[in-house]
Amino acid sequence: MNKVNIKFIFIAIILAFLMPEGLLAQAATENHTVLESLQGFWVNTGFSNFEFKYLIMIGVGLIFIYLGIAKHWEPLLLIPIGFGILVGNIPFTEGYRIGIYEDGSVLNILYSGVISGWYPPLIFLGIGAMTDFSALISNPKLMLLGAAAQVGIFLTFLGAYELGFTPTEAGAIGIIGGADGPTAIFLSSRLAPHLMGAIAIAAYSYMALVPVIQPPVMNLLTTKKEKLIRMKPPRMVTKFEKIIFPIIGMLLTTFISPSALPLLGMLFFGNLLKESGVTERLADTARYALINIITILLGLTVGASTQADKFLTVNSMKIFALGAFSFVIATASGVLFAKILNLFLKKENKINPLIGAAGVSAVPDSARVAQEQGLKVDKNNHLLMHAMGPNVAGVIGSAVAAGILLSMLS
Amino acid sequence: MNILVISTLGDMLLGSAIGISVVFIALACLVIIFEFIQRMSINASKKRMLKAGKKDHEVVHTSGDDVVAISVALHLFLNSVHDEESNILTIKHNDKRYSPWSSKIYGLNNFQR
Repeated sequence: MNKVNIKFIFIAIILAFLMPEGLLAQAATENHTVLESLQGFWVNTGFSNFEFKYLIMIGVGLIFIYLGIAKHWEPLLLIPIGFGILVGNIPFTEGYRIGIYEDGSVLNILYSGVISGWYPPLIFLGIGAMTDFSALISNPKLMLLGAAAQVGIFLTFLGAYELGFTPTEAGAIGIIGGADGPTAIFLSSRLAPHLMGAIAIAAYSYMALVPVIQPPVMNLLTTKKEKLIRMKPPRMVTKFEKIIFPIIGMLLTTFISPSALPLLGMLFFGNLLKESGVTERLADTARYALINIITILLGLTVGASTQADKFLTVNSMKIFALGAFSFVIATASGVLFAKILNLFLKKENKINPLIGAAGVSAVPDSARVAQEQGLKVDKNNHLLMHAMGPNVAGVIGSAVAAGILLSMLS
Repeated sequence: MNILVISTLGDMLLGSAIGISVVFIALACLVIIFEFIQRMSINASKKRMLKAGKKDHEVVHTSGDDVVAISVALHLFLNSVHDEESNILTIKHNDKRYSPWSSKIYGLNNFQR
């Protein structure tokens, strides 16, 4: 045995003698024993506070993450929300400012953007800076398809009332039919904050499920002949038209529905930054850095707000059922309205009713679904550009509808 | 800011009818304005063409398929262009950096022998 090993053994013996004595001395002064401290530690662990409902929610979070990564279904939303669900469902002892509903906790501070409703307008700023309204400007009557799809909001509003929700809660639930996550969060934060977690999760889940929900409804309501309709290619839109659109759009829609000002004001402002051509730096920040930051914070905190004890309720299940209903109705009303419009249009101006489904504002997924359904019947009939018109009109329409509900019910 | 006091299903129906009508009116106003702007814009471009000495029927309307074909061709061409390089070759002497990761001087087991 060499000198170094002897040194180590000596130090270990001294520590073995000194440490418990020190610990016990400290515990004695605080009137605690080591065992009591250990028991306190155990009581605060997630294992001690565990209940089966947390496991269910953790399972839901994992499914969201799986769908985002493996199926590529809205990964930018499902992954932050899915991970947020995991974060929000770790069992803990209240009182240590950990949970999202505890005043002053980090998560609670981040959640304030959702509760006070300032995340959604910033998301809209980014969406405005990303969106090209050319398809809409070149064929303005497609905007009416975006309006028709909002029927889903108001029918769900009635349905929710019939299922026992109060009018304000019904309004917040109805907006799921607008297929617009930020709008749903904005309205529910004002009308029914206690239901916001369920409403946001339902809205984002069904937006991710657009490729699954919409095709059966579209196929049920259209004939093969209608699906084969070829639309005139959109004309070139001048720069003047692109610049004037956000200005007129903002003035007109917000004069009609001032409550939608935070959403529509930011949407059209973002679009003006893009189209003006002289504020490229600002547009770049809005469409990349800003929207990415807000999406991370919004997704994570909305996910974390689904704490099992507050989320797993009968009302949440009802909201999920109503959400599915609203998406079906919104899709059907868009398609049917396109068919009605065709009755009044000349043969060369007819609209392919498949693009009516894009009136639900899940941008750009519902437009992509219209394109895919069109290609299944005719491989050369590209509907994407045409479908983008009602798709972005749906964003405007759902924001106007949210403003109307807010002014009627708040 | 309440427009309606909603307490019965009848009120809800009325509220819904008003709501969807307002959405339609808002977007219909936009349609009317932009149909008007569209006509003005087309007329202005026709006038410009006539001023430039071209007749209306000479204006070539490019179909969507042509636009797609041109866009794809441009995309492929622009992506196939190699990065521009300086074409200057240099041989830079790279000194072996000192790293103490295996140095025996700093070893724990630096026994006297």
